[in-house]
Amino acid sequence: MTTAGIIFMSVSVASVLFLSVFCVLRVLSKNQSKG
Amino acid sequence: MAKKSSDSMQWGSRLGVIMAVAGSAVGLGNFLRFPGKAAENGGGAFMIPYFVALLLVGIPLCWAEWSMGRYGGRRGFNSAPGIFSVLWRNPLSKYLGAFALLIPLTVYFYYIVIEAWCLGYAWNYLTGDLMQGRNTEVYKDFFVSFTGQAADGAVFSFANGVPQILIFVAIVFLLNFALVYRGLSKGIEAFCNLAMPLMAVCAICVLIRVVTLTPHPDIPEQTVANGLGFMWNPDYSKLWDPATWLAAAGQIFFTLSVGFGVIINYASYVKPKEDIALSGLTATSINEFFEVCLGGMITIPAAFVFLGAATLTTYTASSFSLGFNALPNVFAEMPGGQFFGFLWFFMLFLAAITSSLSMLQPVMAFFEEGLGVKRFGSTAIMFLLTVAGTGFVLYYSAGLAGLDSIDFWSGELFIVVLALIQCLIYGWVLGIKRGKAELDDGADIVVPGFVQLVIKYISPVFLIWILSSMLLSKNAVSGQFKIVEKLQDPLQATGFGIVVGCILLLWVMVFFAGQRWDRQGRYAALDKE
Repeated sequence: MTTAGIIFMSVSVASVLFLSVFCVLRVLSKNQSKG
Repeated sequence: MAKKSSDSMQWGSRLGVIMAVAGSAVGLGNFLRFPGKAAENGGGAFMIPYFVALLLVGIPLCWAEWSMGRYGGRRGFNSAPGIFSVLWRNPLSKYLGAFALLIPLTVYFYYIVIEAWCLGYAWNYLTGDLMQGRNTEVYKDFFVSFTGQAADGAVFSFANGVPQILIFVAIVFLLNFALVYRGLSKGIEAFCNLAMPLMAVCAICVLIRVVTLTPHPDIPEQTVANGLGFMWNPDYSKLWDPATWLAAAGQIFFTLSVGFGVIINYASYVKPKEDIALSGLTATSINEFFEVCLGGMITIPAAFVFLGAATLTTYTASSFSLGFNALPNVFAEMPGGQFFGFLWFFMLFLAAITSSLSMLQPVMAFFEEGLGVKRFGSTAIMFLLTVAGTGFVLYYSAGLAGLDSIDFWSGELFIVVLALIQCLIYGWVLGIKRGKAELDDGADIVVPGFVQLVIKYISPVFLIWILSSMLLSKNAVSGQFKIVEKLQDPLQATGFGIVVGCILLLWVMVFFAGQRWDRQGRYAALDKE
């Protein structure tokens, strides 16, 4: 696996992971705050 | 005046609707189509057009569908023809809405068959019948025999008892209809709340198994790292090829269930003041998690370790051959392969059933709202229609031609048509001002204003480009338009005829639904707004 491959994989996975975790946590926190 | 829905026809929780929409989007494409497309179209470089398409078409169109759905739901309509009537007060609009019934109805015809394959494979791993050592021909033969590809009508041959595929099709049919009959919250939502986390657990287990694989001593270069390289190493030259951009746009489109007629129906049941902006983005991001983080890390690396680059290349062009021919070879050699094979195909079955459930609801909602039938009646009508359609797909099984024909016309061509219709109605009829107001109402996140401009100007251009590429592409050898060639093929033409027949039938129903809504004064109530 080349360095460029590692970069593309890491950036893609990290950005999607970040977005999904951020969204799910935000939904859960909003749910909690709305009771 | 909004019609009051029964409790079972409402979402039980916000997380429930997100899971249901994500469940609809996560399907076989996430695990089989995406890695194949990426590996074929530049590896890591494919992710550039992929993310551009996600930002320019995927997320904006999802938000547009959520907005239109809740906008119609607030005004008492849950079916696409009704919602389109709300969005565009023109007699023609409800007939355009029929396309949002056509897609889920006809895609269900073949999707349920693929779902039955997944369940059948999971069962055959559980019993050990699919653990036959490394032999590519054995698994090819099994797939051909299991799916009846040897000849048309093969799956209806009872010479050696009832064919397995018929049993599994019957099981998944009954399961789908039993769940959907229970309604939104008790059926679809309850199932998706269970199936989505279970699917993630299964996928993560398989992922851990794959990344801990060690290469065979005779072929030390076939490592997981090199498998990941096969999938992710960028080939920048592919970025200059329009076909790569088209493949990326198509993948985004199919993976998010945009233009499927599902999101617009599901969103219509969201409570009036409840957030849709964050919910829409969350459902999209969950789908992307399954696709990029799991689908992109499992299938290709696992196949690479056992099959090598040369053999794997022959499988990536087809999702079916990658999933049902290549992977059984992998599980045959993998330590614990029987268990992981079962887990993998059971996960694919869960991915498929959460999608197939979502195809039933939009059409049944129309039967109930437009024709005034109760849940039992809508379930029965839908059952009869889908049995007939699936019968066609099952019978014309030689080379999976029946499946391919409906998939092309409905699952590839008409979903782009519907997405374009929805995009134009949102951007140019409802208007981005009202659209933004609907999206922002109750929103838990701030959606940037430029998203509306993207939906109005950029997404339609993108969709027209995809559509024209499909309609105007020519066969390099014969020089003839590919779509004309398809129509000259008798079975493809029959598939086209079935899709056209379905839309005509739906238009007749929409005509009577329109008269019913008019008699009930629902149009008059809209005009007073």
